[in-house]
Amino acid sequence: MKIFYILFLIVFVGLSGCDDYFEIEPTNKISADALFASEEGVEAYMANLYYQAPIEDFNWHSWGLVSWGVSTFNFRENNAGSFPIIMTDEAVNSEYDNIALDPWSFFWWDDGYRFNKDINLLFDAIPGLSLDQEEKNKLYGEASFFRAYTYFELAKLYGGVPIITEVGDPNDESTLYIPRSTEKETWDFVLASLDTAIVYLGDDIAVNRRASKWVALALKSRVALHAASVAKYWSRAPLSGEAVNNELVGGMTEEDAQRYYEECISASEQLINSGLYSLYCPYPANPDEAAENYRQMFKDPALAPEEVIFIRGYTLQEHGHAFQLWAETNQTKESWPFGGRFNPIIELVDAYETYSDPGHSAPVITTADGDYYNYNGYDPSRNYLEFDNPLDIFADKDARLKASLILPMSEWKGQQIIIQGGIIKTDGSLIIEGAGQETVDGNTYYSFGAATENLHSGFLHAATHTRSGFLVRKFLSEDFHPKAIWASCTSDWIEIRYAEVLLNYMEAVAESGQGDIVEAANYLNAIRRRAGHTTDIALTLENVLRERRVELVFENKRYWDLIRRREHHTEFNNRDRHALVPVFDLRAMKYIFVRQKVTGSSTWTFPEHNYYKPIGGNTVNRLIQNPQY
Amino acid sequence: MNKYFLHLKKKKELQKILALLFVLHFSFSVAIGQTQKNEISGIVSDESGPLIGATVLVKGTTQGSITDINGSYHIFTPDKNTVLVYSFIGYRPNEELVGDRTTINVMLHADIQSLDEVVVTGYGTSKRKNLTSAVAQIENKEINTTQATSIAQKLSGKVAGLNIRQNTGEPGSYNNSINIRGFGQPIFVIDGIVRNNAADFQRLSSDDIESISVLKDASAAIYGINASNGVVIVTTRQGEKGKVRFNYSNAFSMASPTGVPKMANAVEYLEMRNDANLFGGLGPYIEESELDKWRQGVAGYESTDWNDATFLNNSFRQEHNISASGGTEKATYHINLGYVDDGSILRSEDLNYNRFNLRSNLTAKLTDNFTTHLRVSGFTDTKETPTGNGLQFPGVWQGAVASLPIHSVYANDNPKYLNRVMDGYTQNPVALAQKDLTGYGLYTNQIIQTSFDLVYDAPFLEGLQFIALGAYDQSHNQSKNIQKDFNLYDYDAENDSYIPTRFSFPPRISSYSNYDYTLSFQGHIRYKKIFAEKHNLGAFLVIENRERKRTYMGLNKEYDFFASDQIDYAANNEFQTSYGNTVLERFMSFIGRLNYHYMGKYLIELTARYDGSYRYSSNQRWGLFPVVSGGWRISEESFIKDNVPWLSNLKLRASYGVSGQDAGDPFQFIPGYTLSGGGYWEFTDGIETGGVKSPAIVNDNLTWMESKTLDVGLDVGLFQHRLSLVADVYNRDRTGLLASRLVTLPNTFGGIMPQENLNSDRVRGVEFSFVYQDKIGSFNYSISGNVNYARYMTVDWEEAEYASSMDRYKRGMQDRLLGAYWMYQYTGQFQDEEDVLNSPLQGGTNHYKNLPGDFKYDDVNGNGIIDGGDIQPLTFDQDPKTYYGLTIASSWKGFDLNILFQGAANFTARYNNIYSTMFYLDANLPAYFYDRWHKADPGNLDSEWVSGEWPVSRLDKDIAPMMYSESDKWHRNASYLRLKNVEFGYTLPRLLTQKVGLKKVRLYVSAYNLYTWTDSFLKPFDPESTTHSLWGESTGFTYPILSTYTIGLNVNF
Repeated sequence: MKIFYILFLIVFVGLSGCDDYFEIEPTNKISADALFASEEGVEAYMANLYYQAPIEDFNWHSWGLVSWGVSTFNFRENNAGSFPIIMTDEAVNSEYDNIALDPWSFFWWDDGYRFNKDINLLFDAIPGLSLDQEEKNKLYGEASFFRAYTYFELAKLYGGVPIITEVGDPNDESTLYIPRSTEKETWDFVLASLDTAIVYLGDDIAVNRRASKWVALALKSRVALHAASVAKYWSRAPLSGEAVNNELVGGMTEEDAQRYYEECISASEQLINSGLYSLYCPYPANPDEAAENYRQMFKDPALAPEEVIFIRGYTLQEHGHAFQLWAETNQTKESWPFGGRFNPIIELVDAYETYSDPGHSAPVITTADGDYYNYNGYDPSRNYLEFDNPLDIFADKDARLKASLILPMSEWKGQQIIIQGGIIKTDGSLIIEGAGQETVDGNTYYSFGAATENLHSGFLHAATHTRSGFLVRKFLSEDFHPKAIWASCTSDWIEIRYAEVLLNYMEAVAESGQGDIVEAANYLNAIRRRAGHTTDIALTLENVLRERRVELVFENKRYWDLIRRREHHTEFNNRDRHALVPVFDLRAMKYIFVRQKVTGSSTWTFPEHNYYKPIGGNTVNRLIQNPQY
Repeated sequence: MNKYFLHLKKKKELQKILALLFVLHFSFSVAIGQTQKNEISGIVSDESGPLIGATVLVKGTTQGSITDINGSYHIFTPDKNTVLVYSFIGYRPNEELVGDRTTINVMLHADIQSLDEVVVTGYGTSKRKNLTSAVAQIENKEINTTQATSIAQKLSGKVAGLNIRQNTGEPGSYNNSINIRGFGQPIFVIDGIVRNNAADFQRLSSDDIESISVLKDASAAIYGINASNGVVIVTTRQGEKGKVRFNYSNAFSMASPTGVPKMANAVEYLEMRNDANLFGGLGPYIEESELDKWRQGVAGYESTDWNDATFLNNSFRQEHNISASGGTEKATYHINLGYVDDGSILRSEDLNYNRFNLRSNLTAKLTDNFTTHLRVSGFTDTKETPTGNGLQFPGVWQGAVASLPIHSVYANDNPKYLNRVMDGYTQNPVALAQKDLTGYGLYTNQIIQTSFDLVYDAPFLEGLQFIALGAYDQSHNQSKNIQKDFNLYDYDAENDSYIPTRFSFPPRISSYSNYDYTLSFQGHIRYKKIFAEKHNLGAFLVIENRERKRTYMGLNKEYDFFASDQIDYAANNEFQTSYGNTVLERFMSFIGRLNYHYMGKYLIELTARYDGSYRYSSNQRWGLFPVVSGGWRISEESFIKDNVPWLSNLKLRASYGVSGQDAGDPFQFIPGYTLSGGGYWEFTDGIETGGVKSPAIVNDNLTWMESKTLDVGLDVGLFQHRLSLVADVYNRDRTGLLASRLVTLPNTFGGIMPQENLNSDRVRGVEFSFVYQDKIGSFNYSISGNVNYARYMTVDWEEAEYASSMDRYKRGMQDRLLGAYWMYQYTGQFQDEEDVLNSPLQGGTNHYKNLPGDFKYDDVNGNGIIDGGDIQPLTFDQDPKTYYGLTIASSWKGFDLNILFQGAANFTARYNNIYSTMFYLDANLPAYFYDRWHKADPGNLDSEWVSGEWPVSRLDKDIAPMMYSESDKWHRNASYLRLKNVEFGYTLPRLLTQKVGLKKVRLYVSAYNLYTWTDSFLKPFDPESTTHSLWGESTGFTYPILSTYTIGLNVNF
């Protein structure tokens, strides 16, 4: 029995041992010392910072935190195709055209300040790192660059915001409750941070996937133009309330605007005059070559190192994006069930010039009376222009139209993309956006241009078929075959390119009268020449803005252009968006086109208070809320 | 009497031994003075065989006999009018008039409310009459009246406060919610050891279970860590002394869904789709001349019933168990082997499940003072399911629901070519259901649970006992998912060819393995003594530790082309990922109990537990959790005992205690950067750098959540225990629930706040159960019922400030009784365009989309707009607040009949996806939408309206914004009562069976989920099943709950 007592004693004493028993190490954490000790560790930390930077790429979407509980950035899963292009006059979404005007869209308050804390942690860590001073300077410049990026995004969305440059102490209120700065102070802080970045960053041009002096200068060009436009135009949409009275939103003067334009001009000039960048393929032989060059650059930005200044790259299929998965035509989406979502509207197509009449928008004329404002649908009493080939109606248009859009009956991936909305039967009856067929001389003609839904791409009013008559071509790759994986697109995103800097410069010059107006005109015509134009036009604000719209189409710039110039509420005031419907007339065996409202789309009004987004959690922040929230 | 202290004592054995001792003594003393008259002999037995030691008494005398090892007895009776009384502890007595008989065989039935019944409680046992807390116990026999694969389903409706909801009928899913009293999921203790999870518990073979006892109040706190939701204690069978007894049982079942919502057929679909185009401003979806062909069903225009194409009407299941038990004075054994094979309703037969269970329980008396128990059990099971896209059964169901009836299963009806159907973003369900085509998921589990103890009864002090116990559990779970690429075809009539489209490219394989072990040790010192025949004292001290280590790893790989379902032969090294981790957890506890009874009247018990967890920092690691309970057996007081003969039992009891819940992310007290979960960046074209996440805020103060549970109960027995009642009211307050601070820090701080012990909540409920048992001649019957009603409220709740008092009223969580659901008051349909114009605007400016037939809502705040201001807490949310069950058991001669009703109330259900959205993602729609508002002349907007139950058919874009808003049109009351189980059995006469050498043969038929009374709209969906099934959404695509019909056989030999 003794053995039993001994056993029992062992169990009792053994179990009641001290806290050693609980000394277990977590398997998922490493210390700061271990992390920053190696270059790889620093790079790994930087990777997470670049990832969080508010880069408005393919994974930037309008459904923010509030609707989906996810960030407005880096949402690479199924985002329902809520790309910002559908929040502008560029395109409608074939499935959800009413996503857009939620005031909480693009919500980035919490994530923005979370990123800000990570940046501040880096500022804190730099002095203690065992790197040489040059490396430390570069990191300091990089941290300043991130800071500028962050506050730029916050200023765009919210106006003046709390400027927080230290990691707060949860037990010290004075470090936590920082009030909002004025909008002007915020813009000035962003520009000052960029100036710091420009001083400290290296000037290595080869690194277009990481911040450099040149990336910072290009960003400054963008920031200063945005600030200048807001300073000049915020009173177009005057708001009222406490935030306005305290100049937390708006409150800037014409002098401020001039100063910001000047900043834009000088930053742009510095970059342009470095001679390090130029336009990709500036002298095409003909419009077709121009179109192909332009398209290739967005398909693979690595082709154009002379033009791309800053790239966000994608490599791994599950860490990519979903743009082409949403954009691919119904006929070419293979087994992927989605696609066809982005439907550019006829107003965008109208904006493109023709080569024969440069310097003007060239609306698509469909009737002999030339009344392109008539959107009332088919009217048998009107005299419709007839075409053998639907593409003929766009024949003389700017090459960038073909490069950016899939036009009805144009080619994609070796197929003719059939976009047809109806037929006029031999008895003169019209079937439009509905099923219909008639057999003439042994050939059967279908209202959608093909017998079954998988053989055409338009007007079926399924989400996979365009409702406007157009689809997006820009950014798509003919080599991409959809995999059944969200985020399987790995084409890179051009965040900043040289053409944008040129456009920023010429807009600043045209708006402010400062800078070199002759050079500015040269830049404008250089961009046009690259698109196949041969006739120069004058530097006017109208010409600059039209050029900007078509050159940067679908690059997520249009939304901010409408915002910063305070044009969104006048563009969208009880406004419909319109389609161009190709209809095959069996009496003449020719195509006609009908301009009409996109069927089923909503009428939009942009409320003026949407120029500033609501601040999240302001009851806790003790911050003054933006007007009318 | 040391046996009483045996940890995990086998109840029935104990009863029999006690009875034997008692009756031996008794019969010996009364045997003298017998006068020799008629000799009567016979056998006393229960349902499972002869009873040893049952008493036979001549009524009104002390003259009697007891049954021997074969259950037989001899007694001499004075005359024909003698009445014999047969009794046995734990059984209801039976009386027989002798008459002319010389052989009287008697069947005794277990008394389900015996006060002397031994109930298993935390770390010990107690007689029911001495219990001071809310404990329910159910025996093997009552569990086995239901035929199902999961133990949870076998318990459903039978135990008060053990609330069970079957979420799906999928073979091998074990997806049943087990919830005690509205507290949440309990922990599971099998033979004294806390075992890991509810699914393992559900996989037990019911033939191995002696009893299950449920600790429902503070008495659960003795199990400490995470016991605050209650404890389910399983005691497995031990062998009994005697010759080997074999038992074989089987069950053969046929099952079909309790309901399947009907989808629109081709004509219904096309007519609705044409309406939708008409009201969407589009041309017709199909020209009238074509539609007529569908109406006439001419060749090539036949409607496809996708459900019928994909599923069978019935699935089949079989179960076999064989056991052997027996033993000698020194050693006993119980060995059982079980097998279940469960098929599915998939026509492809590619979804199926099987399980083997094995158990060996050995007991050996090593010396006079040493006893040891060795228990080894295990199971292995395998589930195979088709579809490599990860959606599995719900994906197939979705396909069958979504696919349009105008599309055919095969291209050109040629069975060699599956049609390319991809309606509603799913694919041809007939293809998805075939593992050889689309791939499969394969899930296997192997679990071994062992325990070994040494019990030492100290010879130097009576009542003192030492126990050392060790347990080792090991589980290994593996899964493999193969996604194959496959072709679906379009028929090209012009060229008479089949055009393939390749799906699910590239093929992928993923494999996952989890290895898990738990090691537990316990040391007990126990003492029990009765002083001066009045003071009954018991005490024990237990020290326990538990270690759990889990290692998992997974691999994913893509193929260039599918070759083999093995990782090594998936030839594409470009896209492969792997992951894995090892997690170690440790716990230590000191447990003590003291109980004292005075004269069986006044009962008191004190328990305390001191727990430590690896999860917290050293200064927050330990928690002390005390419990006190007491009872007063009023019926033992002489003023009752002597004056109120019909009141056989009256006990008032109360318990109050604290227990700790171990929760929250571990190691929050250690700072550090996290290697996973950060973003990534491509610094060099083609090379991705993974990011490191910045450290979370360190939290030293995270500690145990505390639950304080109070229970007051009353036990009543009436009319010699024919009727017994148990009623309880209870309250549980939890404090220290995890939350992240919102109020105290502004979000500009930018840190992700750690979990802290901030919130508190409360569950309150009442519970009632009764048993009535009686007999009419040889017809024995009992009726028992139970009901539980519980409500949950939040007390202190971390929440941001609200914008307005209305906002707080709607969304506030501070001191809020939850369970209400906010929705609009439905007031009818718009009758015409005029009505639309004169009614409050719906959803602001989008009013123009409303049409006659759309739903109207009450404008509660009278502002002329139906918006968020008009929702009200009109109904209950989706969790039942009330559960109830009613069992009627009866037997007559060899026949037995058991009927169980079960149900739940005060909850609602809603489906959001295809089942409540017209043309959801261009999929088919349910047939009920056909009864809709439409135009008398289809295609003519100017014709008259024809009214219907549902609104006008429209595409999603054209739907008025509030059509699918919450109201009782969509969000239905799901309360139900169902005839859950009926079992009818017949035991062959013993004379017949003995001739062929069998002890007992019983045949039965049984039916499960036989009929349901509930809302007629919800009935095809089955209100018991969960509404959540795919993408966390209420799609209703879960495997349907089944009605099961079983025949089976039970043989003892």
